[in-house]
Amino acid sequence: MDSAWTAFDVVTQTMLQKAFDDPKTVDLEKLSNAIVDQSLKDLSFCKDAGRMCYAVVQAEAQKAATSVFRRNLLTRLQQEFTAREQTRNRSVREWVCLVTFICSIFDYIKVNNAPLVALVDPVYDCLYRLAQPDALINEEEVDCLVVQLHRVGEQLEQTNSQRMNQLFYLLRDGFLLQEDLSSMTRLLLLEILEFRASGWTLTDTAHKRSKEYFMGERSGIPV
Amino acid sequence: MSAHQKNRYENDYKPDENRNKGASRWSHCRKRGADGSLRKSHAIEEPGKCSQHSGRPESFTTPESEGPVSRVKNWGDEVEAEEMRSNVRNDMHRYRRRILEADFPQRERKISSGSSDSRDSRDSKESPAKGDIETDETTLIRRQKQINYGKNTLAYDRYIKEVPKHMRQPGVHPKTPNKFKKYSRRSWDQQIKLWRVKLHAWDPPAEEGSDLQQIEEIDLGEIMDFELDVECSADTESQCPTSSGKSLSLAEDSFTGTPKKMMKTEDAEMS
Repeated sequence: MDSAWTAFDVVTQTMLQKAFDDPKTVDLEKLSNAIVDQSLKDLSFCKDAGRMCYAVVQAEAQKAATSVFRRNLLTRLQQEFTAREQTRNRSVREWVCLVTFICSIFDYIKVNNAPLVALVDPVYDCLYRLAQPDALINEEEVDCLVVQLHRVGEQLEQTNSQRMNQLFYLLRDGFLLQEDLSSMTRLLLLEILEFRASGWTLTDTAHKRSKEYFMGERSGIPV
Repeated sequence: MSAHQKNRYENDYKPDENRNKGASRWSHCRKRGADGSLRKSHAIEEPGKCSQHSGRPESFTTPESEGPVSRVKNWGDEVEAEEMRSNVRNDMHRYRRRILEADFPQRERKISSGSSDSRDSRDSKESPAKGDIETDETTLIRRQKQINYGKNTLAYDRYIKEVPKHMRQPGVHPKTPNKFKKYSRRSWDQQIKLWRVKLHAWDPPAEEGSDLQQIEEIDLGEIMDFELDVECSADTESQCPTSSGKSLSLAEDSFTGTPKKMMKTEDAEMS
C-alpha cells in the first residue's frame, strides 16, 4: 500500500493523508471518486485499493462516526457495476480493473467482521461473465477470473455455495468442451478447478502438474 | 449470461402475482412485497431462490420508510442496514450477558436460603426478568434508529462531554431509553420524545451564553418535587416560565394518574 498511493497526484495524496488524520475536513466524496477513477485505469493499483479504502472507512468511523466515504464508494461502485457490459465492450482492460476492484473491496471491507452481503451477488455476476465462452478466449479475462477466485473464492463460497457450484459447472464445461482455448487458459482453469476441489488450498500434486504443463512435458486434457 | 441467470432476471419482471410474494435477488432486503403484504424471510445464502421459510422477515423497513421501495436497492443503503442489524445483534448478546450476570448471584442466594422475595420480580426499572427482553429485530432496529437520531445531535455530544455517566442523576439528566425492555409502541415513542426534549437543554447557545446555566437551575428546583416517573420536560425554553408553572400544578393533581397525558398537553403547548 505504501507504493500504491504514489499513483495519485499530489493533491489527492494530501487529501488521502488528511482523511486519516481528520476525516471531517476532507471532501470524502471527491476522494472516493479519485480512488475509483484510478482503480479503473491501473490494474496494479486496484489490487490494493480495497485496503486503502478500508483504512479510510475505519478512520472515518472512529474519528467522525459517519460513513460518508463508504456510502459514496459503494454508490459509485454500483454505477460502474450496472454499466459493466458497456465498459467491457469499450475496453476489456477497464472491465478487468473493475472486477479486480470490486473483489478487492469485497475482500477488505467488512461490517463487524462479516463480508458485505450486498456485494456477494454482484461479485458472482462478474465472475459468471468472465466464465462465458467469449470471455474465456481472452487470457486477460481468464487471468482475472482465476486471480479473483484465489483471493475471495473461499469467502464467496461460504456466503453462497450454490452459486459457486454453478460457476464451477461453467468453468468445467469451458475447460472440457470449448475448443478455442489457449493452453495457458486450460492450465489456469485446471488449476482453479483443483484448487477449489482441494478446499481452496494448493496441493503439491497440483503444483507439480502445473509446472509440467508449463514446461510442455504434458499434453492432452486429463479428465 | 447463463440461462439460469436469465431466468432469475425474468422472474423479477414477470407481471404476475408471484412476483410480489416470491423471491427476487433483492427481496431479502424488503419486508413487504409490492402489494404491501409481509414477506416471509429468506435465508441470506440463497437470495435467488424462492425458498419460503416461516419466521420473522430479516429485512429492515420501518413503516415510516421514505419513498417507494425500488426493485434494485442502493448498495450504500444495504450495507448500512447490514451494519445496523449486526450492531443490534451484538448489542443484544452483550445485554443478555449483562442480565445473566446480574441475575446469577441472586439466584444462588435464592436457592440456598429459600427466600421467596427476590429483587428480580416485577421491578421493571432494573434488569427485566430473563424472558422479558425485546427480541424482535425489526423493532430493535427501529428503536435504534430513533436513538441514533438523538445521539447524532450537537446537544448530545455536549451532554456526554459535560456529564460523565457516573455523575448522572436520575430524573435530572436525560437517560437513553433501553431498547431491550418491553414497551408498547406508544410508550416507547413517548420516552424517546421526552428524552430528546430533555437533551435540548444542552443545545449550543444561540445568543445568550447564560441560557444553559439558567435552564439547569430551574430544572433542579422543579424536579425535586416530582416523583421519578413524572419527568418534566418544561426546561427547554427559559422564556416559557408560565407553561412550566402550569405543568407543575397539573402534575401534582394527576400525580398517580396519567403523566403521559399531561406530557402530551404540555408538548402541544410548547410546539
